[in-house]
Amino acid sequence: MTRFDRQSFLGADSETTLHAATLGLVGLGGGGSHVVQQTGHLGVGGYVVVDPDHITDTNTNRLIGGRLADLETETTPAMAKVAIAERLIQGLQEKPRIITIRDSWHNATNELKRCDIIVGAVDSFIEREQLERFARRHLIPYIDIGMDVHELGNKKFLIAGQVILSMPGKPCLRCYGLITDERLTQEAERYGAAGSHPQVVWSNGVLASTAVGLVTQILTPWFDAPEFVYLDYDGNRGTLLPNDRMKFLRGTVCPHHPAEETGDPLFDVREFNKLLSNLELVTTEAPTTPVSKKWWARMFTRIINQWWRS
Amino acid sequence: MTVRFKITRHLLEAIRHDLVRPHAFAHERVGFISAGLSSADDDLWILARAYRPVADDDYLRDPSVGAMMGPDAIRKALQWALSDGVAIFHVHTHGGRGRPGFSGIDVREQSKFVPSFFQITRKCPHGALVLSNNSAYGNIWLDGRKPGEPIGCFIEVGMPLHAWSGV
Repeated sequence: MTRFDRQSFLGADSETTLHAATLGLVGLGGGGSHVVQQTGHLGVGGYVVVDPDHITDTNTNRLIGGRLADLETETTPAMAKVAIAERLIQGLQEKPRIITIRDSWHNATNELKRCDIIVGAVDSFIEREQLERFARRHLIPYIDIGMDVHELGNKKFLIAGQVILSMPGKPCLRCYGLITDERLTQEAERYGAAGSHPQVVWSNGVLASTAVGLVTQILTPWFDAPEFVYLDYDGNRGTLLPNDRMKFLRGTVCPHHPAEETGDPLFDVREFNKLLSNLELVTTEAPTTPVSKKWWARMFTRIINQWWRS
Repeated sequence: MTVRFKITRHLLEAIRHDLVRPHAFAHERVGFISAGLSSADDDLWILARAYRPVADDDYLRDPSVGAMMGPDAIRKALQWALSDGVAIFHVHTHGGRGRPGFSGIDVREQSKFVPSFFQITRKCPHGALVLSNNSAYGNIWLDGRKPGEPIGCFIEVGMPLHAWSGV
């Protein structure tokens, strides 16, 4: 019996598969921190966690893993959100592979390329669009979560959000109508003037849990799930329902991210070969790491060593 | 260095489906996959974009091999590499299950035609793949003058994500 015994229905190899997987988590606030915690419990082994911020007083209503002791004091700086995520994972995993990047995800692209899945819990539509485009270029499934609180008048509010699985080749955030030019323009006009968005822990939890379910579906499916998903969250009714576009877009190929856009348009294998040559040069120049001994030389050394030990 | 070949499940299924179509005289079918590229440090990603089968008329009669491409087949693939500036991978299937391997004839023929792609697009690597019904194996040429080397990892992107070692 292992500690993952209660999730063995995910498959005989699920423990190995989950441990071998690497998850990119961009945005470690209210939504992303839930994903960190749950994937840690689930047994995902590899993480690239990216967020430029540190914990603040107003995060503590929802930042999973964050403690009051992590806040800035007169003598200590506030703890980075990536460090909080790292601590959370290390408390749940024996040998996790964690890369923390306290920076914009735009400066973490090399690490994110190595991820099997990217989960984005970012604040803006432009960040969503750019992150999805990056994921599509590298054929990485992208899961987007987001929520907002809308004022209805008379001191009434609506909590709403979405969870979207954007699988390469399948409908994207634009196909679904989440990203529109109008929204991007409005956001750009508000840039710098936006106040803090209302956020609450339970709604983030619902969306993040659903995202973790999708991560699990992609890695170790337990039923034949659809390859593209758009779920609408209504926090007032407590519902999470398939958006109608899921039905209408079935069988369509995404026109916004054509296959011709995959890869880096500036890639040049001659530059790559130069880099490899330089690395090889460094390796061969290092006196303590003889990596390319001939097989008979290695065998001879092993025999001599064994004889010497005996 | 690790070379990873990524392809969507949808595209891979379409390729497998196409390669088992019967031909008038060839025993097997062949085609080409175009790919974009990306790197991080000394790791390389081959990102499959599209597939084009070799046209029925572009096979040569050669009973000593499963399929022999004529000069037009190669010319069209070279044209694709030139016009789109993409990496090109020759592909065929051996069917069955488990990791397939190249035959001696495959290796001999690849060493003839793959380096010719570097005359057309020097900025892209090129190569060859062989499929089974649930796996794949392949070689990549990073330079037209050096022999090809095995692709380290294959990733089929879909639900579920399926990855396997190529070496």
